[in-house]
Amino acid sequence: MGVLQYVAKRLGQYFAVLFVGLTITFLIPRLLPTNPIDGYIGQIQARANGALSGNDIALLRANLEELYGLKGDVLTQYLSFLKRVIFQFDFGPSFTYYPQPVSQIVFTALPYTIGLLMVSTLIAWFLGNVVGLVAGYFHTKRAASILEVVGIMLYPIPYYILAVTVILVLSYLIPIFPLAPSFPVGQMTLQKAGMIIYNSLLPAITLILAGFGWNILSMKALAVATTEEPYVTYSRLKGATNWTRMTGYVFRNAMLPQVTALALSLGTVFSGALLTEMLFSYPGIGLILRTAASSADYNVLYGAITISIIAVATAGLVIDLIYPLLDPRIRHR
Amino acid sequence: MIRLNDLQIGYRIGSRVIRAVDGVTLTIPDGCIVGVAGESGCGKSTLMKAIYGDIRSPMALLGGSIDYGMKGADGRPVTTDTIRREWFRSISYIPQSSMNSLNPVIRVRDQFIDFPGTDGNKKRVLERARAYIGKLGLPPEAMDSYPHQLSGGMRQRVMIALATFFEPALIIADEPTTALDVVVQKEILMLLMDVQERMGNTILVVSHDMGVHYQVTDKMLIMYAGRVVEYGDTESVFADPQHAYTKMLIDSLPTIGDDSMRGVLASAAGAGGDRAFRVEPELIEIKPGHYVARPSLAGVAA
Repeated sequence: MGVLQYVAKRLGQYFAVLFVGLTITFLIPRLLPTNPIDGYIGQIQARANGALSGNDIALLRANLEELYGLKGDVLTQYLSFLKRVIFQFDFGPSFTYYPQPVSQIVFTALPYTIGLLMVSTLIAWFLGNVVGLVAGYFHTKRAASILEVVGIMLYPIPYYILAVTVILVLSYLIPIFPLAPSFPVGQMTLQKAGMIIYNSLLPAITLILAGFGWNILSMKALAVATTEEPYVTYSRLKGATNWTRMTGYVFRNAMLPQVTALALSLGTVFSGALLTEMLFSYPGIGLILRTAASSADYNVLYGAITISIIAVATAGLVIDLIYPLLDPRIRHR
Repeated sequence: MIRLNDLQIGYRIGSRVIRAVDGVTLTIPDGCIVGVAGESGCGKSTLMKAIYGDIRSPMALLGGSIDYGMKGADGRPVTTDTIRREWFRSISYIPQSSMNSLNPVIRVRDQFIDFPGTDGNKKRVLERARAYIGKLGLPPEAMDSYPHQLSGGMRQRVMIALATFFEPALIIADEPTTALDVVVQKEILMLLMDVQERMGNTILVVSHDMGVHYQVTDKMLIMYAGRVVEYGDTESVFADPQHAYTKMLIDSLPTIGDDSMRGVLASAAGAGGDRAFRVEPELIEIKPGHYVARPSLAGVAA
């Protein structure tokens, strides 16, 4: 199969996944027995002490249906939903922060989540693999097994306990980081960027510690198995140095399943965002999702979920496109 | 010339020591192919590892010494401790599992230059290697391929190219043809003989296949239980084996047209003949589901 064909096939899959994802996000809220507009009109009616006439309500309903894309039967709604989302990335306004458009809310939060979670996932992957590689390659040496202990100790700690412990230690007992971080808004300056990075360090440390242990254990097991492969033995008998064998032979081969694992963990970045951003009051997609869910802000929910679907599918696509560069056996099929 | 003086190699497992090579003294002259044969566990692989200088825990040199009869880069004679520096310079190795002895994710050419034995000028090495593999019947493009794009025979040719490219004085081939089919086996062996004739190096070939030994080797080394039981010119060893074990090994080869050994268990016959027996055609059920052809000891001319 040629390179172009491979890329085309993978892109086709990518768009199919996005399409299915969008359709499901569209359908699920519509399976609910309640109608958000009824609820909203009820709220307004209550606020106006029932002063709204039947005519006003009909007008209000028509306007709201237009605004929130709830006009007509399900099929009409679906088509206009697809048209708006695909061509304009328009989810309508937020209920809670009316009339701020959802896309604006989501795009403000997105860089925070991607910046924090992607970067810390990548760092955890990289550090974990380096430590795991050394522990696995030198598995007969006693000093190397100490490295593995780090993984064994970190891996089983539940994430929320780890997070609370880190907050307790690094911003209460030893107050290096603020307990209630503030994230500046508006025009980005160098000073503001520095403040954002400083305030992101605490959740980043927690995320790295949490992802680190698993990567150590997994890479160590892979490296131990790869060290026994005939080609590693042969390279040793060729007189290749430890460094060549560890990087060019053991790591190059043992990393392949780890890259798959990285793609999978990048895929769960947004579900991790929810907990992290709540615990650290971090203004990302997770926090928005939570606020929107508790205040029945459907449009924001749509926007945040759609952006997660796109991000996860894109991460998978990128990894799949990189993979053949790492493993020639896939490239030349 | 390589001299082994009362060489003893063992494996230390806890406080136990298993003697795998138990006092071997012999001289291997320069420029000949020596075949090493013997059953599994007789110590031939351990002996090869020791000669190659790959002695790692739990394997240990218990006694004796190896005199390689060559000088290292520093002008001093090479010993078991310094032989590592000669790897893929003046001593090289052809592994058993050619199928997976090449790194699957790195091009063949890069595996010619990723060890210190190679010349510092990588570009020159690659140019010469490209020309060299042509002589071994490989297309020059093989250098730019990944191992999985080559057939088993081509991969073994690459292994031979790697092992002979630096014209080492000694090559150790540990069952170089086991994983290959018969036709490719023959090609590889002919290639090995060819290279040896051209370069005049010494090759130690380990094989279970007595036919291979007969065709390829100049000298035969038969091992049993960590000791050498017979060592001599191949012609002489095959024509007139002196040790009962050597006889058994040679008799295990079926001979076309000779029916005198047919129906007689070769090893039993070789052991002296008194235990030779014929195999009866009927099977007897000795236990439920367990059948055996009852041997008849009567009327057998050993």
